[in-house]
Amino acid sequence: MTHLESLFKDLYQTNYTKVYRLCLGYMKGNSTQANELCQEVFIKAWENLSSFRQESAISTWVYRITVNTCLLYLRKKKDIPVLKLLNNLESHPEEEQNSTVEKEQKLASLYRCIENLNKENKSIVLLELEGIPQKEIAEIMGLNHEAIRVRIHRIKNELTKCVQK
Amino acid sequence: MKSFDEIQSQWNSQKSQVPAENGHELIIRKVNTIKKKQKLTNVILVITVIVLIFFFIYISAYNDLLVTFSLLLMIISLATRVALEMRSIKMLNNLNVSTTVENFKIRMINYYKTRVNTHLIWTPIIILLYSIGFILLLPAFKANLSSGFYNYIIVSALVMLLLLGMLIFTQIRKELAILRELKS
Repeated sequence: MTHLESLFKDLYQTNYTKVYRLCLGYMKGNSTQANELCQEVFIKAWENLSSFRQESAISTWVYRITVNTCLLYLRKKKDIPVLKLLNNLESHPEEEQNSTVEKEQKLASLYRCIENLNKENKSIVLLELEGIPQKEIAEIMGLNHEAIRVRIHRIKNELTKCVQK
Repeated sequence: MKSFDEIQSQWNSQKSQVPAENGHELIIRKVNTIKKKQKLTNVILVITVIVLIFFFIYISAYNDLLVTFSLLLMIISLATRVALEMRSIKMLNNLNVSTTVENFKIRMINYYKTRVNTHLIWTPIIILLYSIGFILLLPAFKANLSSGFYNYIIVSALVMLLLLGMLIFTQIRKELAILRELKS
């Protein structure tokens, strides 16, 4: 395995889960499309890895590629219904079924509210939900830290109001 | 849900996905396959052009000036369209995805502006030149083909033009919508 391949393996294993969940957020919870998008992100990461100059942390670099690839994905966007409810319910007992339905409904409503945000705010809140530090979000977005802090506060309020409706 | 903390815990409770042990190898393999396919497409395009030129010489099409001019008009307009599309694909592939999101957005907006300009300026010119070439060829078709086949060519060309117009209209609408979304 070459040095680049081993670096890529490490990058893939370390960041896959977060990248997948960011893609899931962009694809309104549709796991098939999120997988497709996630694969596209890592294809771009591999193609660009040799030009990585270590000017930022490698995770910041990967998240930039993720958000930008999600923007590029607008080209291929098909209208995806927000989270298919009542998935695999047959396999759960009734009580568990009710709580699963409620949980999925809440999640569907959250996805719908995230979808209502503009593209930039959507990216910011998805990164925030994934627990990425605000300083790193600022580096990913190319905005200053203070602007991101204010913006996240505003988006959180907007999102909370929306899901309460 | 009442507070953002609840939203956060809702988000965290989603099913997670662990990376496959050999996931990185599959990605590398996929990139290699894509590159091979791109090379193959280029080879096929070059072979098609060579065959067309060979056919042009073989049937001595250059003896009839009007036919030659019309055919060249059609071929050049088609080739220009293909070249514009290839340039556009190259532009898209060359966008630096590892730059900041703000920078990337500006570049994407520029890319889509170029696309819309191509659709609004170059595409109508290309279709017009192609149609002129086709109309100039009609007398040659009439003289050399049966009336049934001649009528078929005219009807199918009109249908193709209509379908092409609809396709371009849909494409412009889609790309304008993306531009609006990016600017919002």
